[in-house]
Amino acid sequence: MSQEQIEILQRALKREKAARKAAEKILEDKSRELYALSEELKISNEKLAASVTEKSSQLEGVFKNINDAYVVMDIKGNVLKMNSVATNFFGYDISKEKLNIVKLIYQADATYAFESFNTLLNTGSFSNYTARIITKKKEIKWVQINATIIYDEQHKPIAAQGIARDITELKNLEKQKEKILKELEKSNGELYEYAHIVSHDLKTPLRSIDALVSWIKMDNEGSLDATTLQNLKLIEETLETMENLISNILEYSSAGSGTSESQDVNLNETMLNIQKLLFIPEHISIQILKELPVTKGDPTKFQQLFQNLMSNAIKFSNKEKGIVVIDYVEKPSFYQFSVKDNGIGIEKKFHDRIFKIFHSLNKSKESTGIGLSIVKKIVDLYEGTIWLESELGKGTTFFFTIKK
Amino acid sequence: MKGIIFTEFLDLVEDKFGLDMVDKIIEQSKLESEGVYTAIGTYRFSEMLQLLQNLSTNTTISIDDLLLTYAEHFFSVIESSYPGLLATYKDPIEMLASIENHIHVEVRKIYPDAELPTFVVEEKTENSLTMIYKSSRAMHHFGLGLMNKTFEHFNSTAQITLEKIKEDGTEVKFIINKNE
Repeated sequence: MSQEQIEILQRALKREKAARKAAEKILEDKSRELYALSEELKISNEKLAASVTEKSSQLEGVFKNINDAYVVMDIKGNVLKMNSVATNFFGYDISKEKLNIVKLIYQADATYAFESFNTLLNTGSFSNYTARIITKKKEIKWVQINATIIYDEQHKPIAAQGIARDITELKNLEKQKEKILKELEKSNGELYEYAHIVSHDLKTPLRSIDALVSWIKMDNEGSLDATTLQNLKLIEETLETMENLISNILEYSSAGSGTSESQDVNLNETMLNIQKLLFIPEHISIQILKELPVTKGDPTKFQQLFQNLMSNAIKFSNKEKGIVVIDYVEKPSFYQFSVKDNGIGIEKKFHDRIFKIFHSLNKSKESTGIGLSIVKKIVDLYEGTIWLESELGKGTTFFFTIKK
Repeated sequence: MKGIIFTEFLDLVEDKFGLDMVDKIIEQSKLESEGVYTAIGTYRFSEMLQLLQNLSTNTTISIDDLLLTYAEHFFSVIESSYPGLLATYKDPIEMLASIENHIHVEVRKIYPDAELPTFVVEEKTENSLTMIYKSSRAMHHFGLGLMNKTFEHFNSTAQITLEKIKEDGTEVKFIINKNE
């Protein structure tokens, strides 16, 4: 072998050795890198496993503890999972039999059900779907369902989950309430009609008596003595009281019935009407301290309300110069009105009693004991309260509130 | 450039021209690596260019022809190292058409930093394929050699025409027609 050939071989050998070492180093570095990487992976795997366990036990807890029926189904409506509430409620045990959600749909609500299911597919969720379902035992139940779509990693819908709340009881109560309200309305109407007829029937004989008395007076003009005339006058006055009483009862029976029409009521106009209607003696002045508000309600009721309080104030005035003062203050959710007089006043012990029907403290032909009962009834109707401040001999202030 | 390209190249030079030639072209080139290559290392492409250039000068064979021969040799490396990859194909046209979307993807799994050429399919029928080769390395004849061997692997032959789109060979159109 020539020297040159030997040198070539030596160089080749040297290169091979160097290459081997380089390869070894690369492999060593690579394996170290791989080791570090696999350690990292191990740690993150453990973390992931731990968080998956945690999440699944949380979910399992929610699934078991929830008081409503929880259902998971595939996109075709086949039920995949149900909690025990759902199993009891729907009556199907999916570990023993297959169940498609379509089977639960109540026929009359089918269109609504399919529409809602499409909404669910298109938008990913629906809430407060309220309809009837039919259980295995053929019971019809009302449910309220909130549902969402479950997507896979590629955002493809794979399932739907829903929570159904049994609102059958609620629905029944609602129906019952509606029924009761209707009945109530009807019986109220009947009552009012009855009061109307009765008052008319009662007034007819009164008018006959009144006519008879005036005939007796006419027929015996000049031959009756003073005592008889006085007694006849008393009969006439009593008849008038009786007629007032009957009219007021009729008014009372209609005062509490629901406000059929709610409209703007300008109380300043109400005041003008009242002042035209009421007889206001010369010595009494009505003072309205500021412009009154416009409220919502039945104008007739507001007139009844103020008219009763103001006529009381006029009626029980005993001063040389009587005053009736109307005022109000505005609060965030209500108005507080006051009607103040400087009349005879009411003793403290009567303050509760005066709002009860037929409780007149003063027996007179204009005082039937119904006025304040009507006032109270109207204030109640507008969700307000009424109370008074009074000092015997000095005057009375009635306060009442009206909800805005 | 991946070390396996160098080690296989020098093995082939030794096989065809003897160890003297290997020693000669390494000595004639200015190599950062000093001619020390391992299949799993990575080296400068300029080293391959010098080795090819010197081999071409010493043997008076053109670089393109050298690359063609080398590629045919390299295919046998692929055949013996990655038989599974080849087994997924039943047809050479199918295999060549999926260089970009399958084979190179697999290559990157093993050599994440490999600098690969691109082969964009322009037209494909059952028996023909037109692809545009793009690479700054201008090693289109290496590709041609691999393609020839691909057809051989599937017991068929083809007419493969190369049209340079860019004069320096960094962009070349391959027109492949399988022989019936």
